[in-house]
Amino acid sequence: MTIADLWDQKISAFLLSPSQFLATTTSESFLAELLHELRNDKANDQLKILLVSVLLEHPTILCPSSSVGEETALELLSVFSHTPQKSIILKCNVMLAITNVIICTSCLANHTKMAEDWLDLLFQMIQDTNDYRCGLSQQPIRATACECLREMETCSPGLLPQKLEALYLLKQQETTVLHQSYCMLYTLGLKNAIRILTSQKDVTDLEFKSILGGNEGFAWKSNQLRLTLLPINMMVQVPRLPPGLDCKELKSIMSSLLEESYLQTPISQSALLRELVEIVAMVPGLSPTLFKSQLLRLFGTADVSLMHATLFMKDTFTDSLFSAEDENFLLKRLVGTAQHPLLRVPEKLFYMECILHFPENRPISSSGEESLPVLVTPRLAVSLHPTVFNDSATMLCRLNLLCLVHLEADEGEADKGISYLFEHIMALLKIIDNDGSRDVVVISFRALFIFLMHFSGMEELSEKVIDKLCDMYSRHSRLAPNLIGLANRIQEHLDDPVWSVKLLIGLQKCIMEMPPPQLTIHNLSWHLKVLKRVAKEGQITQRNTIYLLLNILINSNLCERGNWQVGNAVLAVCRNLLEHPSIDQVFIELADLLQYISVHYDGMDIKDHARFYYTLLTNLSWEKRTGVLAKGLDGGRAKERSHSAIMAESEGIASNLTVHKTNRHVLQLIKVQEKASQRSSESSELLETTGEAENWLEVYQGQFQTPGFGSEVTLRYNLTHAKDTDPLFDKVFTICLHFELKDSNYAKVNDIHVPCVFRDRKPPVVKVKLKPFQPYPTTLCVSAIFTTQDGRSWHSRLPDVSVSFPEIFLPLPLPPNTSCEFKEQVFDCIWEAAASGNPDKSAISLFCFKTADESLADLIKTHFQGYLITDQQSKRLWKVLFFLPPMCHVLLKITQAEDAIQVSIATDNWELLPFVNSYLQNITDHCSTTVTDG
Amino acid sequence: MSIRALWVVSHEKGESGKVRFSRRFPTVELRAKSLAGTQYVAIPEDCVIPKLLLTELGLVDADKPYVEVRGDCARHHRSLAVELRLDGPGGRTLWPLLTVTQGALILACLPLVEAPPEPRPPLPSLASVSQGLALLSGLQDFLCGPGGKPEPDVLASRLAALPSVLLQVCPLGRPLDTPLPAGSVPAAVAPSPGGAQKQPAWKAVVHQGRAVVSVALTEKVRSMQYGKSSQQDIWDVYGVLPNVTITLTLPHNGSPLQDILVHPCVTSLNASILTTCSVDENDGSAFSGPYKFPFSPPLELFRLCSYTSQVPVPPILGSYQLKAEENHLKVNVVLKLHESVKNSFEYCEAHIPFFNQNLMGSVEVKVSSGQLEVSKEKNWFGSLKFPKSREATLEGTVHFFSGTVAGPTDPLCTGLTAYIKLYFRVPDLTLSGCCVDQHSVQVYSSAKPRIVTTRELVSSEYYIWNSTGDAPVSSGLMML
Repeated sequence: MTIADLWDQKISAFLLSPSQFLATTTSESFLAELLHELRNDKANDQLKILLVSVLLEHPTILCPSSSVGEETALELLSVFSHTPQKSIILKCNVMLAITNVIICTSCLANHTKMAEDWLDLLFQMIQDTNDYRCGLSQQPIRATACECLREMETCSPGLLPQKLEALYLLKQQETTVLHQSYCMLYTLGLKNAIRILTSQKDVTDLEFKSILGGNEGFAWKSNQLRLTLLPINMMVQVPRLPPGLDCKELKSIMSSLLEESYLQTPISQSALLRELVEIVAMVPGLSPTLFKSQLLRLFGTADVSLMHATLFMKDTFTDSLFSAEDENFLLKRLVGTAQHPLLRVPEKLFYMECILHFPENRPISSSGEESLPVLVTPRLAVSLHPTVFNDSATMLCRLNLLCLVHLEADEGEADKGISYLFEHIMALLKIIDNDGSRDVVVISFRALFIFLMHFSGMEELSEKVIDKLCDMYSRHSRLAPNLIGLANRIQEHLDDPVWSVKLLIGLQKCIMEMPPPQLTIHNLSWHLKVLKRVAKEGQITQRNTIYLLLNILINSNLCERGNWQVGNAVLAVCRNLLEHPSIDQVFIELADLLQYISVHYDGMDIKDHARFYYTLLTNLSWEKRTGVLAKGLDGGRAKERSHSAIMAESEGIASNLTVHKTNRHVLQLIKVQEKASQRSSESSELLETTGEAENWLEVYQGQFQTPGFGSEVTLRYNLTHAKDTDPLFDKVFTICLHFELKDSNYAKVNDIHVPCVFRDRKPPVVKVKLKPFQPYPTTLCVSAIFTTQDGRSWHSRLPDVSVSFPEIFLPLPLPPNTSCEFKEQVFDCIWEAAASGNPDKSAISLFCFKTADESLADLIKTHFQGYLITDQQSKRLWKVLFFLPPMCHVLLKITQAEDAIQVSIATDNWELLPFVNSYLQNITDHCSTTVTDG
Repeated sequence: MSIRALWVVSHEKGESGKVRFSRRFPTVELRAKSLAGTQYVAIPEDCVIPKLLLTELGLVDADKPYVEVRGDCARHHRSLAVELRLDGPGGRTLWPLLTVTQGALILACLPLVEAPPEPRPPLPSLASVSQGLALLSGLQDFLCGPGGKPEPDVLASRLAALPSVLLQVCPLGRPLDTPLPAGSVPAAVAPSPGGAQKQPAWKAVVHQGRAVVSVALTEKVRSMQYGKSSQQDIWDVYGVLPNVTITLTLPHNGSPLQDILVHPCVTSLNASILTTCSVDENDGSAFSGPYKFPFSPPLELFRLCSYTSQVPVPPILGSYQLKAEENHLKVNVVLKLHESVKNSFEYCEAHIPFFNQNLMGSVEVKVSSGQLEVSKEKNWFGSLKFPKSREATLEGTVHFFSGTVAGPTDPLCTGLTAYIKLYFRVPDLTLSGCCVDQHSVQVYSSAKPRIVTTRELVSSEYYIWNSTGDAPVSSGLMML
């Protein structure tokens, strides 16, 4: 497998699921790997584009902080400048990646130097109009630069306004296809400049004119707008400049932009039109009639985004641009396009949606809800009638639209229209009746739902629908779930439950009248489902249901067969019957039924439950019974986990018993601050130090033969209450802490049990033992299960505990009384081995920083005290060794050179270097530092 | 006016969905986050996207008859945009996801909602929606090409080319253009340098071969004929004119072209061209040409203009009678060619399919002209050739095997509900009479291009229903 294939696999795995991928490594090391490979001259462009794509799509995962973002952007910039001229596509991709990193890691928002430099560089690139200097082949770079600038202005509005004059000139000069990019860039800058000006209190003519003549640096300090601006159609009040400003120049610019707009691609053109509409809306001195000359062209367009932009214009300017005649014409065009045979289905659906939200000049209601424009008459909408030949989405969309049309229409016309729609619904039902496929059933029920939502009040029609549905049910009982769903949804959406009740009565009747052979085992389960739903309706008498159940049980062999599912389904009906308000009328019958089951049904569980329901029925009043059933049988806890909970379909009951959940943090783990010298690994045996000098390393390494030697890091935490917890949690008992790892660099952490935590007592100390496979920083997700004083159990999450890199450091794992000499020998041996590249993951590196004498001493004392091997103050040389389980070493030799402190680093695992670097950088932060990798 | 992410998911029968291509736009995501504030819903990782998407589109659990998430009757009335329910019903949702399905491929994109998240804004108020739709249509053409069903290896190579296509048309989530349909650009092209005049953005390259203007006029006719007085037959005609100023003329008394939609490269339009609309009632005063379209053409084939037209009679009038007798069906078909239509078909076929029946056995049918063709596996037979008399008949009986081998099924065609479907093409003819005169094509260029004009009439959804059975209700036109 080649390197490229390896990367290919790696990157697809990352893109498929970044979290799973990073579970086996860290974002730091992956980023380091990526950048390393990007700098590799031997890698081809194809591979590099693939590598860049990761940064392009997930910059925030790889660069979690602004500083990492800035460093990464710098690295990418150096890759960009070292990429040969001919690698155009790679260069463009790197440019996009830099822009994404800068914007997404807030480098732009924080005005870092990097972002400033990048903006300047981009602006420099776009100066080469018509490719005079760099040649035609470099055109894509320019196009990308324009697009990067546009995105930066969009995400941080107000950068470009001071460059408007320069941008205007560039836009005028450019004649290649890129004039589109320049034009869009200029227009965006212009719009944002005006938007900024609208927030100012008084605007003078001079200020207004000066925005067009801006030719300075990027406006970093100017009053920046919010990160993202809402388009004006979403704002309650459109920001406006004061009236009376001199708009001559702006007007001529707008006209020329509009005149050339047809030269752009339809999508860009629609974006341009939207920007221009916003500008005109903000400047009272500009008249919407500017757009008049474009209207005809736009009315005739076949492009969906251009038509959409025209509707946006209509929405913004209404009758100041569109006369009543224009409006009527536009609406007709919309209806025409909504059914044009040569447009695609999604486009037609979109146009239908646009009809429902048509911005009328004189809207009756101004709410955002869909309403039919008054101009859409049945006559106009005739061609939008649904047919059985339509695809499902079109059919449903048309049906919905036409329902609205006929709901609003005059009586005579409406009757005809509604009866057509009714015929259509009947035709659909007929298809189901002829054994329509599953999809057809679902679509038809959706159509039925839409129809009923509008016309369920028309008794004659809705009765006919019910008759038809019941008739179909008698042949196709598999429709039961669809019918129940329909009844439920209609009941939810309409305040008036009459229709659903009627349907359910019809279904009940239909089941009663079925000849016995149809009540076979298979169909029976559907019928029982329907009856269960029917039993929920207080308005429906249940006598027939009970008779039927009794009849079936007595006259068939169901009881002997003792099928648990069937028994269960029968009892589910009974459970709803127990809650039925007028059950007193059929009290005896129900009691008979339950008793019959409890005696004759061949199944212990069913019998038991029937008896239980019988007891409830005969011993409790209706109020108490429903109370008991609704609350989930509070008294009989022992029963709750048995099948009665499932049978009664009240899963809620179980929650009374189970562990409660709280989303707030109740407890937290706070790191115990300890001195490094206190820490050591657990070995305490004396080593024989009498061996030969050469054997020291072997002796040291020999220790690792003992299983588990030096493999654990113990971290100590105080377990305390989180801030602002409920007094309920002041005393908690039998706490079980459970740890989940976010990655797979560590072995599973065992649960920890703590007897109690009281708010007013000293917090208990918890020792968390970590066993790394790879000593990388990590984060632990902690949850706790505990009991409060009232005896209830709770589950709560704790704030995540992050384990930083230095927290995994251990001193050299040797017995405490080992001589210094021995330690130093081991240090030297490991150093030599690492320097000579043995084992093969070894690496050495160098880190320099400047500091004053005393602060160096402080630094060593605070950070390296426990890890010092030798401390030769006189020679200005310190040797430090960090041991990282399972068996990694990081060795530092700190020497004070004339002008700087040098830290030579050796390690037997080069993958740790990025962490060592950032650790050292961290602790030497107050000094100026330079880094050199070895 | 941006999209947050884009996916191409494939969904083969019996397999779970697979992400074939995906692209996220982090800067747009940043904006989405800031716009939605606390109601922001992050996009889930690609590994869970197919399942969520297929669930919404009702393509999961094919073996189960009813699943509530799929079968709920109150959902998805407008499937233009679906929502992904990330934590099941009642949980967080990602909306509005635009989808386009072609064969086993599902293209989806998530437009940025530039509006306060609650209440959910109407789709037409979001600029990104139409842009997302346009981008998806473009990608569909690019991936699937004109045939609509590319070979797996062709598809794979087109998918592999997507990153560089997106670099051009949508580098940072904001669509700039739509990709060109696969294979539509002529080979001999070069990037165009700047000149004295601004170059249209849809013509990024210049053609280096001989210039050709080819104008093809295709008219399609669709029809539903019922053979009953209670149900009115309908037919309509629509045309496409791909590829300077082109003048379209109609014969002296031709009915006007309606619902004209033009390609954005057309620079100006005469108001009278747009006025006729199929939703209006026609009066005699309507504009009937000539229709002039000045435009600056892109290099690839494109659809300059589309229209519909109302012609007084369908080109082929048919009657179909099917009767059931004991164990066979009796068929009687008469087809008449209208006198205005030239009898010069390139092909013309009448297919008579039988659904929801057993497989066909013997077919004893006499045809007045042409040859009988029988497709036993697909359960249809057919034939058609119009003799000089312009009338063709077909008469006879069809027997079916009595075994249990069932033929093809169709939810509509049960009992005696059955149809004949016509397939035909007549070169050099349009029903509306619309034509482009080769000499009327004006090209403003120093090079003299070759000008080719063609026209044709093609059938599309041309059905003749059995008049002795129930034809499905088809249109409200006749009732209103």
